[in-house]
Amino acid sequence: MKNRIAELRSERAWTQADVAQRIGVSRQTVNAIETQKFDPSLPVAFRLARLFEIRVDELFLDE
Amino acid sequence: MQTPPPADAYKAEMRATGGLAVWTLAWTASLALARFAPELWGDSRPAATWAAVMLNVLVGFVWIISLTRWLQALDELQRKIMQDALAVTLGAAWVIGFGYVVAEAAGLVDEVSVAALPVFMAVVFLVAVAAGKIRYR
Repeated sequence: MKNRIAELRSERAWTQADVAQRIGVSRQTVNAIETQKFDPSLPVAFRLARLFEIRVDELFLDE
Repeated sequence: MQTPPPADAYKAEMRATGGLAVWTLAWTASLALARFAPELWGDSRPAATWAAVMLNVLVGFVWIISLTRWLQALDELQRKIMQDALAVTLGAAWVIGFGYVVAEAAGLVDEVSVAALPVFMAVVFLVAVAAGKIRYR
């Protein structure tokens, strides 16, 4: 699913590893979500949204 | 299953991995005991041989529980990769195993050691995990 993780991560100068460590998943998972190879579960999607301080539907774009 | 909170996720995975390693070693050791100990005491102690075999099976059941807990402790993408690999392994073992049974019954192939199946499954599993890791790289 299309998402804004790379954009929001870049704004904060965070690496994928930084995001992974903050939400409790592996760096490979963050990369796979970012590159749309893998859709996260709801708990992980909500953790990502809380991390970037936006709503889930603003982070993941249903196109 | 709920994903554990970030602070606990890494610790939970490490604990589960340690547990799996311990029970894998225990199962391997009990298998070696069941296989080779009877050769030391011969046919004179069938009860001891049965005990060694039952110990291996019991440890094996605990290993299964440990494996399940390890899968549940994994990061969700890693868990998907492992579960996909397990599905491929089960399917390949089922298909190839029964294929071998009918081919051997028809005299098309020679009898193969029963150890060939777990070795085949291990190879298939490793290839499937590698494929999953590459797919989601």
